[in-house]
Formats: sequence, structure tokens, C-alpha cells
Amino acid sequence: MIRLVAGVLVAAVTLVLPAMLDDSALAVYILLGLAAMVTVGVSLLMGYAGQVSLGQGAFYAIGAYTAALLALGGVPPLAGLIAAPLAAALFSLVIGMPLLRLRGHHLAFATLAMQLILLSLAGQLEITGGDIGLQAIPQFSVGAFEAGSAAAYAYMAWGGLALVMLVTHNVVTSRPGRALRALATSETAAASSGVPVGRYKLVVFALSAAFAGLAGGIYCFYTGYVAPGSFPVLISIQYIVMAVVGGLGTIWGAVVGAGAITLLVQGLDQLAGLPGMPSYAPSVLSYAVYALVLIVVVLFMPHGLVPAITNRLSRKRSEAPVETRS
Amino acid sequence: MSAFLTYLLNGLAVGCAIALIASGLVVIHRVTGVVNFAQGTFAVVAGLCTSSLLGLGFPHGASEVTAVLAAAVAGLLTGLAAIGKPGVTPLSSLIVTLGVGVLAYAVEIVLWGDQPRSAPGLAGSVTVAGARIQTQYLLVIAVTALTFVALAIFFGRTYLGKALTACASNPYAARVVGMDTRRMGLIAFALGGLLGGIAGVLVTPLRPISFDTDVTLIVNGFAAAVFGALTRPVITLLGALLLGVAETMAAGYGYGSHQLEVALGLMLVVMIVQASRRSAISQEST
Repeated sequence: MIRLVAGVLVAAVTLVLPAMLDDSALAVYILLGLAAMVTVGVSLLMGYAGQVSLGQGAFYAIGAYTAALLALGGVPPLAGLIAAPLAAALFSLVIGMPLLRLRGHHLAFATLAMQLILLSLAGQLEITGGDIGLQAIPQFSVGAFEAGSAAAYAYMAWGGLALVMLVTHNVVTSRPGRALRALATSETAAASSGVPVGRYKLVVFALSAAFAGLAGGIYCFYTGYVAPGSFPVLISIQYIVMAVVGGLGTIWGAVVGAGAITLLVQGLDQLAGLPGMPSYAPSVLSYAVYALVLIVVVLFMPHGLVPAITNRLSRKRSEAPVETRS
Repeated sequence: MSAFLTYLLNGLAVGCAIALIASGLVVIHRVTGVVNFAQGTFAVVAGLCTSSLLGLGFPHGASEVTAVLAAAVAGLLTGLAAIGKPGVTPLSSLIVTLGVGVLAYAVEIVLWGDQPRSAPGLAGSVTVAGARIQTQYLLVIAVTALTFVALAIFFGRTYLGKALTACASNPYAARVVGMDTRRMGLIAFALGGLLGGIAGVLVTPLRPISFDTDVTLIVNGFAAAVFGALTRPVITLLGALLLGVAETMAAGYGYGSHQLEVALGLMLVVMIVQASRRSAISQEST
């Protein structure tokens, strides 16, 4: 009952907010929704399949470039937006087959390498516009309706987030979801209980890539341009920070983590923009915040923010441990 | 032919610098099981320190040694964050070192700004069999050779080195005979910082270093280290030399913009081949 009321309340606030915020606040709101979308995928991958990906930004970039190229080629934006997650998922399936043989730090570096290679290629190929990237991407439109205002993109971003959360919820509570949790603890044990380990890992990898691709698609229509510089390695690290802060393997944790980090960095940006602050203040503050939050949470709150809070609320700390893993 | 020899020697020098970074990774991973993502940061710290110290008028030699020691201190601090708290898994430690690397960005920008910096090295060049090669490249090769010999003596002949090796081969047994594995881990981190620092000091005169150079350095170092499965220093050295030569050849024969792809592609292939040879059980138990 409480969950239902809370859910309705969250949905209502989400729907009302775009109408009330001004443009600069809306930009934060949209980016928050997009970041949360990617983070849900990261959280699923790290928390349930036990795999670390330092290259989630690559799938975000693939989604953005796919949608941008299609839209610039005259394909209806809706088709481009649908193609974005599909392209990201397809790519992740192709590279996931060899890469997912790796685990732990090997996989982390392999995915990082994948992102570096993709960025380097995007900066050199003519079709992707080189370092300048793609510009003048048309506005998103379905039939006669054109998403001209930031509020429309806010609804798109948060609608996409709701879809992503629903899909994740269904995956996690299903029979394969249980298999995934077993897989995260011990692949050998899961395999001997009949879990098709390789296939499940690949599917989760593809799912998280699709989430990132969808976010990237919306991002390219919202900003109107994509360039390699929009997808630095730091963006992938940022998603890890968000997932870890919120609590790995919790859907709401991903949203809370994305929200907390985005708002924190935004607040510090305001602070850094005050007169008298040196010109390097914004980047220094955001680097420092990402780093300190990540270190403190990993060391002292390994289950993340949301499980820590819910545990305290329900006073179950002495009982069974939460079903999350770091 | 002389062009080929130039590329080969330059490539070996680049490979040596990579080998130093990679050896730091290997030392830390052997003793603590942690892959240190901040390894490239140590090189950056040392490189930036040298450029500042030389800029302030300190003599060569003193500046370089101070910079390397600063990197060792950075290594020790990273170690404290990564393994100082008991009960942290190696993968969590990897994420902590990732955080340390990002934190270092903030510190480096405050101290040195975000523009690349260089430092003067050995000037001049010598001609070897018709190929002109900068003296600094020869210095890199010589120092790396000395460092690896010193490492071999340290691990093979000294008490501390043997203790570190013991922690690497069996942490439980090492604890049983009364070694403080955590302290050994911290020493390994300081040593890793030292090695990274040497690499940074040597590389800075060759290519300017900025705060975010560490990603390229760590990725190259990791690529070399996976050749030796993150545990075998000699194979790591060979892997690094191969990588350095391959990259320099690619650059020399007109594929300069694909240097990074060469290194990363090679690393991915090696990792995947290695992974397909090992079973899941042996990986999970370690």
C-alpha cells in the first residue's frame, strides 16, 4: 500500500515538474533522466550479473550517433530513436561474445579499451564528422507533432526512464533474474545448477547497452549535435559512481544515485561560477566530488545509499542481509 | 633501412617506458591482487613535478629524484585508500583506485593547470648504424634496463623482496609465519608509485604530459601487463617492448592516428586468448 502511494506520488511529481521548471532547470532535469536511464543498466550489469563495464559511455555514444546519422539522412526521427537502442544492443552482442569471456578487472579494462577505440574512430571517420561531430540534427517529431520545447524532451527522457525501470523490474523478478543473482555470486555454482551463464551475461550486457543507446538517442535530439568530446571516459566512470552510490542491484538506487550526483555536481557548478572563483574551479570541484563520493561509498557504504536507508527504516539490520552485492 | 632502425630504437624506448608502468602494475597486483587504475597517475605526478622543479631552477638529477619520490608517496597514499581498510575485495579496491585517479585530476589541475607541460631532458642525438636517435631515448632504455636488474636483485636477494614474493605466492601462509600482509601491500604500492614515477620522469621530455595523460599510460601499461597475465615481470617487459615497437612502427609508416587502436586491439586479443585457456573455476578461486 505504501509502495503504491509512493509510486503514484513519484509519478505525479515527475509529470508536474517539467511544466514548472525554467529552461536551465529543465536541462538538468533532462540530463538527470538520461543519466538515470544509463545507470539502471549499469546497476543491473554490476549488481545482478556481477560484471563491471567501464565503457558504458560507448553505448551511449553509439545510440546518439545512430539516431543522429539516421535523422540527418532523412529517416523519421521516431525510427532513429528506435534504432538507437537496437544498434547499441546489436553492437554489444557482437563485442560481448568475445569480451564477456573476461571477468573482473580484465572486463573493466576491455570495455574501457572499447570506448577509447570507438571514440578514436569517431574522431577520424568522415561519416561521423570527425572531431567536429554531427551538427544541425533535426528536432524530434512524430507525424505532425514536433518536440520543440525542452519540456517535451523532459517527458521523453523520463518516459524512457520509466520504460527502462519497468523492463528491469520484470527481468529481475523473473526466473532468469534469480539465475542472474546466482551468477553474480559464483559462475561455477550457477552453471552447475543449469544456468546458461554465457547467454545470460550476454543478454544483460545487451540490455544495459540498449538502455544507454536509448538515452543517447534522446540526448542527440535534445542537444542537436554529437561529437566525440561529448562522450569522454569520465562519463562512463560517472555512471559507475551513480550506480555505486545508489546501491548496486537496486532499480531505485540507480535513480537516486543519478539524482544525488547530478544535483551535487550542479550545485557545485553554481558555487564554482561565483565571482572570485578561479576558472578551473568547475572541473576541479566535479572531479573531486566524483572521486571522494566514489571512494567513501565503496569503502564505508558498500551496499549504497538506498539499501542503507531502507535497512535503517525497517530496522532489519540484525536480520538477513540485503540481497545486493558490491 | 636507417628509418627502420630509428623506428625500432624509438619503439624500444617507448616500450621501456610502458614496461616501467606495467611493472608497477605487476608488483602491486602480485602482492595485493589489486589492479591499480591510478598507476598512470604516478607517472603524471612525477612528470609534472619534474617540469615544475626544473622550472624553478633546481638542477637535473635532484629534480628527477624528488619527483620520483613524490610519486612513491602518491603510491603509498593510493595504497592506504585502496587496501588500508580490511575486508575490501580486490574489485572494490580497483574502483577505489579509479576514484584516486579522478581525485588526482582535481589536485593536478589546481597545482599545475590543465595545459600539457614538458621538461628538458638530455639534449642532442647520436648516430647508430646510420640511424639518428635522440640521446633521451637511449637514456630511457638504459634506465629501464638498470631498473629491471635492480628489481630482479630486490625480489631475488633481499629479505624484504622475498617477503613480498611470499605474500604474492600465498598470502595465508605468509600471515601464518608472521608477516604483515597489509604492510607488504603498502610497500608494494609505494614501489609501484616509484616505478610509475621513473617512467613519468623519463617520458616527460619526449612527449608533453597533462593531467589526463594517465588514461593512455595506464591502458598501455595494462596491455603490456596482460601479456604476463599480470604476474610475470619478464614477459611483461617483452610485451611492453613489442607494444612500443608496434606502436612506433604504425606511427612511422603512416598510421600515426591508429596508434592507440593497435595497442588496445593487441591487448584485447591477448586477454581473450588467455581467458579461453583458463577455466572459470581457477579464476574464481584466485
